[in-house]
Amino acid sequence: MATTFEEMNCAFPANLAEALELMSDEQTRGRPLAGGTDLMVQWESGVLPMPERAISVKHLPELRTIEESDDAVIIGSAVTHMQLRRSDAVVRYLPSLADAAATIGGYQIQTMGTVGGSVANASPAGDLAPSIMISDGDVIVASVRGERAIPVNEFWTGYRKTDMAEDEIIVRFRLPKMPEGACEVWRKLGPRKAQAISKVMGSCRLLISDGHIEQFRVAIGSVAPVCVRLRAVEELVTGKPLNEEAIAAAEACAAESVKPIDDIRSKADYRKWVTGRMVRGFLEQSLG
Amino acid sequence: MESVQTGTYKVIGQGLTRPDADEKVRGQAVYADDFHVPDAWYGAIVRSPVSHGRLKGLRRNPDFDWSQVVVVTPEDIPGNNIVDMMGRDMPFIAYDEIQYVGEPLALVAAPTRHLAREAAANIEPDIEELPALCTLQEMVAQYKKDPEQLHELSAQTIRKGNVDEALAEADMVIEREYSAGHQEQLYIEPQGMVAIPEGDGTLFIHGSMQCPYYINPELCETLDMPPEKLRVKQSAVGGAFGGKEEFPTLIAGYCALLALKAKRPVKIIYDRNQDILYSTKRHPSWSRYKVGLKKDGTIHAIQCEFLLDGGAYTTLSPVVMYRGILHSAMGYRCENVAIDGHVYRTNTFPNGAFRGFGAPQALWAWESMIDELAAACGMTPQAFRLQNCLRLGDATPTGGLLRDSVGSPEVLEKTLERCGFNEKWDRCSRGKPGERKWYGIGVSFFAHGAGFTGDGEARIKAKVALDLEYDEQRAPIVNVRISSTEMGQGTCIIMPQIVADAMSIDLKHAAYPMPDTFKVPDSGPTVASRTAMVVGSTVYSAGQKLKAELETFVSETLCDGQPVVLRDNAFHAEYDGKQIPFDEGAAAYLASNGPLRVYDQFKLPPHIKWNQKTFEGDAYPAYSWGCNVVELEVDTLTYEIDVTKITAYYDIGRLLNPIMAMGQIQGGLIQALGYAAMEKIEVKNGKYDADRMQTYVIPTAMDGPEMDLHFVEYPWDHAQPGAKGVGEIPMDGLAPAMANALEAASGVRLRDLPITPEQLFAELQATQPRSA
Ligand SMILES: Cc1cc2nc3c(=O)[nH]c(=O)nc-3n(C[C@H](O)[C@H](O)[C@H](O)COP(=O)(O)OP(=O)(O)OC[C@H]3O[C@@H](n4cnc5c(N)ncnc54)[C@H](O)[C@@H]3O)c2cc1C
Repeated sequence: MATTFEEMNCAFPANLAEALELMSDEQTRGRPLAGGTDLMVQWESGVLPMPERAISVKHLPELRTIEESDDAVIIGSAVTHMQLRRSDAVVRYLPSLADAAATIGGYQIQTMGTVGGSVANASPAGDLAPSIMISDGDVIVASVRGERAIPVNEFWTGYRKTDMAEDEIIVRFRLPKMPEGACEVWRKLGPRKAQAISKVMGSCRLLISDGHIEQFRVAIGSVAPVCVRLRAVEELVTGKPLNEEAIAAAEACAAESVKPIDDIRSKADYRKWVTGRMVRGFLEQSLG
Repeated sequence: MESVQTGTYKVIGQGLTRPDADEKVRGQAVYADDFHVPDAWYGAIVRSPVSHGRLKGLRRNPDFDWSQVVVVTPEDIPGNNIVDMMGRDMPFIAYDEIQYVGEPLALVAAPTRHLAREAAANIEPDIEELPALCTLQEMVAQYKKDPEQLHELSAQTIRKGNVDEALAEADMVIEREYSAGHQEQLYIEPQGMVAIPEGDGTLFIHGSMQCPYYINPELCETLDMPPEKLRVKQSAVGGAFGGKEEFPTLIAGYCALLALKAKRPVKIIYDRNQDILYSTKRHPSWSRYKVGLKKDGTIHAIQCEFLLDGGAYTTLSPVVMYRGILHSAMGYRCENVAIDGHVYRTNTFPNGAFRGFGAPQALWAWESMIDELAAACGMTPQAFRLQNCLRLGDATPTGGLLRDSVGSPEVLEKTLERCGFNEKWDRCSRGKPGERKWYGIGVSFFAHGAGFTGDGEARIKAKVALDLEYDEQRAPIVNVRISSTEMGQGTCIIMPQIVADAMSIDLKHAAYPMPDTFKVPDSGPTVASRTAMVVGSTVYSAGQKLKAELETFVSETLCDGQPVVLRDNAFHAEYDGKQIPFDEGAAAYLASNGPLRVYDQFKLPPHIKWNQKTFEGDAYPAYSWGCNVVELEVDTLTYEIDVTKITAYYDIGRLLNPIMAMGQIQGGLIQALGYAAMEKIEVKNGKYDADRMQTYVIPTAMDGPEMDLHFVEYPWDHAQPGAKGVGEIPMDGLAPAMANALEAASGVRLRDLPITPEQLFAELQATQPRSA
């Protein structure tokens, strides 16, 4: 197993432009390496073959900041989970994302692992996905050909597949702030209380006015090849009064909307049921 | 019975810091992978890809350069191709029938780890596959259909009274089945060993192990080497939990066979993935009970079948099963007992020693059953236990008499009282609809046999030595020479504490060096919660002998023949009041006579009688006692189960070092929580599925609940200082207490370990179907 950057044949471009330049040519292109918390494990276990070259992206200053615009938080792809959970803007405007980041691995993983790595890794158990999805934001990818914004809900195209081209890397995320008066909730079910890979997890964004559900967005991970937005549930309850009837309907609809599998972490029937229960929990929580 | 508990203790009983703490915390301890052995090659193993088959041959890839590596096949084994454990049915390297995925087919050594693995990958076995039986579930299904079709590795019965008649007389008969899965030890340091052929014809084996005197003599037959040529030394061990009891003989054997052929040192260090796939685990188990009760709650008859999934070979499974059946009806009065224990072969890596050694499996079932029995006769679990629990003077299921040192019923009473069980029991949710959280409380009560099972101690006759010699600074030191190892549990501090009090000297004059079979006598294996009790008491009496010898010397040579007593670290002459500090007297001895070694040997008290054939009598010289109360909450939204508090009392005899003892209990309870509620590893196509720490989930510190833990001391009466066992008992009671609490919370009972939200969901769906 490669344990040094030399062994990984890892390039350290001086800036983003240089990185994109390296990525543009087959002869110099390498596997983007951010925190390595997924890659190192995958290489060691043989899930992924060691690539010929790696290109470090974590050190690029252009990718390491969190900024705020009027209506969105703009998060660099090399921002770590630790930065995320400690960012005032994220805690305030994307609270479920901050909460999710706080449950990833332990401190070591949180200080090494990045948002870009998590999203590009495209695991259905990636804990940041639901919160990113419910923001309805964009993933901004770049290459020498220029930048392009991919709506997050179209970014993951299948199990560990993304809409990125070979020469592209993720540069940042543009995630719309939650509207005033709204709330977000994150919930993770894992086999233990820390250092847990999720059995099922999800986030919701909810805006209630006059006892009615004005906006409800919910995304659940680990129940399908990619993290899923439960559009049917969202449509079912939007505009309805927030009461037991709506909640029960949402619970049933959510369980019906997912097709999870049995795997080493959990069972399909439990995952299906608990997806409904989580949606119930999300709505009940705001019922107070 | 006469008590020998006359000693007053000064150093014993103190929570002293272990001498190895500093180097371990600083990362300076030298583990097997840390020694630099010049010219060492690395070993790798060619393993079977099938669970069961017949080996037709091995093909070496002709394109690979074989000149740079050494390959060992059965023809290269100097002695017999047999691992000399119980059963003697396991070859070192399979040559005909293959019994599990991963079974060694050839060994390879090369100058680098990478090359060794590459060479191993270039040897391709030709195998005719045969039908395999790989899981406990298949094994139990076959047992119910026709046990004759199973390959039995071991069987034993216990009989007391007349169970058939008693079942007929009973007012009710309750039948239940329970099962439990594998558990991986998951010590921090994976298995590792190096074998070094020395110039003088000896072979030096150095590495991570619990029992140096297993490897020697177990390897002698294979290597065709007399025991005195085989030197085995323990390196710092990063945890073992039984996983380094019998397994290291295998990895030591691979290294030794390669080293002898390559004529140079050979090292094998498993990575985590190999370690999980190809080393021992706790035996999966299945228990079936048929218990007859009287209306008043008396247990009138206990019939039990206790099955262990042995894996492919016998190894030490019989003893695990013995401990299992000995604990399967333990703790409660009953005149009619019939227990049948069996170990059957499955085509997986041989299962082996793991903290508790059959008792956790047995008690998981039995202590769950006790709650079900209580419910059947309309009693609370606490009242039922208090009514039936064994007390001083009662007989165990094998007819052994509890003559002394019995912490029952005190641990039970105190735990129940401390946590407010009665009042909390009435508050349990019992699956009440409409609640956010369900609350439950559950209890377990248990004894754990201290010392080796059955005739073990009588056979082992633990031998210990104390060496009075110079240390590196040329100061006199008393070195404890035992084969009992330090693997994290605190042997390295309790032994010097025992010597200090036995001799009445300061702790700094006693030390525990790492065992080396060229220096230590065989005090037996470091297993079975026996080190403090059996070896510790023998070290104490050796200390008294050494003290007497030194007193005689000082009297004769320094005090003109006056009576001399070594007390408070000084020799005191009786008539003129002369005082000579211990180190001066000891130095005088060393200067005139050279080093002094005294031996002693463990002797069972004469009243301990045991029949190894019929399993009648005193199965253990003494028992530790414990009681666990678990409180938990179930989130009714998700059925997540949160153990919020554990209250427990233990009687482990004399507390030698309360900090170490508490460490054993706390760590053991967390490990038991993993066994109860998290750790799951299944055999899929003959291979373990959870083969990495990513998938094999053990508890973290965050999962540890509030713990309210206490000791009561009922010292073992027949030797000083009177410790019983603490190592294993923490594993025993948590799983059943949790299942009992979960029933009190949810209204349903789970009878299969580990307990998970998925299982609770399935059970609740089955009992009270509702729309999803
Ligand atoms: C012990 C441990 C615990 C963990 N716990 C959790 C957990 O609780 N929850 C969870 O969700 N995850 C967990 N993970 C997984 C992992 O930490 C996260 O997914 C992490 O965010 C990955 O980020 P990284 O920077 O380390 O990615 P890397 O490993 O560097 O890269 C991951 C993938 O992303 C690609 N990549 C990286 N950056 C970019 C970029 N800018 N553009 C394009 N592609 C890129 C890489 O090529 C690679 O394919 C854990 C991992 C470990 C080892």
